[in-house]
Amino acid sequence: MSSARALGDQDEAGPAYEPGNEADFERLYRNTYRRILGTLITLVRDRAAAEDCAQETYVKAYQSWKKWRPDAPVEAWLHKIAINVAISDRRRERIRTAGEIVRRLGRPIPPSDPSTLAERSDLVRALKKLPTKQAAALVLRHFHGYSNREIAAALGVPDQTVASRLAAARQQLQATLDK
Amino acid sequence: MGNFGQDSDIERELHRVLDSTLSAAIPAWRAPAGGGVVQRILGSAAAALTLKVATGIAVAAAAATFAGVAAETAITGSANPSVWGQAVRSQVDGCKDKLNPGQHGIGECVSAVAKTHGATVSGNHPSASPGAKGKDQGAGDGHGKPAGAGGPANPGAGGPVNPGSQGGGKGPNHTPGKP
Repeated sequence: MSSARALGDQDEAGPAYEPGNEADFERLYRNTYRRILGTLITLVRDRAAAEDCAQETYVKAYQSWKKWRPDAPVEAWLHKIAINVAISDRRRERIRTAGEIVRRLGRPIPPSDPSTLAERSDLVRALKKLPTKQAAALVLRHFHGYSNREIAAALGVPDQTVASRLAAARQQLQATLDK
Repeated sequence: MGNFGQDSDIERELHRVLDSTLSAAIPAWRAPAGGGVVQRILGSAAAALTLKVATGIAVAAAAATFAGVAAETAITGSANPSVWGQAVRSQVDGCKDKLNPGQHGIGECVSAVAKTHGATVSGNHPSASPGAKGKDQGAGDGHGKPAGAGGPANPGAGGPVNPGSQGGGKGPNHTPGKP
């Protein structure tokens, strides 16, 4: 079971995208936003951060839209940007959290917002503890249903690297969940 | 902690928590303003510099104009440039009146008047450089009409008396009627 569609598949999107075309970018945004958001929710601290990262992803994509080559799967390209945005966000979050811990010493930790389903999921919490690229590989494989080759295109690594990352991610995920 | 030993378990859990994102509202896309941060900074700096240079030139030009007008006005008592020309012509006529018919030497008289006038104007002109004063003196050929011809003397090469002129006499004081 997956939301599977190939990264370069544009049957849902209509005609092929033209790099630099404003209307095509808006169409790309509408067609891919939810899937990009879904990936980001598993990678960054919460839904609000994921929405911010999604916006940042599309701003960066828009800035490079003229340079996008149609021979590369457009959603793989977007995911590559999104994963890099998530990596930067995690880095910022680590710095922010360190400051928070120092400020909160001796005070009770406020409960997280229970309204968000993803944040209550053990699996998603475990995914957030994985290295971003490992977690992204798992989500692309098991939520989006992409092949290893498509994930390799999205992450900009060889297929073999994807296979080993997936194996390492599963192992680490299980270890985290077993604790 | 949940049990996600199988890939299918991971897929099922990811869909349980993330499928809601697939029906999430998509925020409206608004293309970011054109130009990067650096470009915007450089653009505003260049605009500010251009404005400063343009303002400086305008102020200098206005100052020079006002100084010239003030000097001429002080001499002639009028702000009208045509009055200034008349004043010069009357000075030349005065020189002619001092001469007897057939007598030469109007060039010296005109030169003396022009020298006095030029010194007055230069003295009132704040931006006048000493080196520029009388730079073109002597360029005129000193042609003057004979006193009997009745026309005004032409101390330069076809131009009016040059303010600041000191060297009208350098050119040959040619008089066609000279034997």
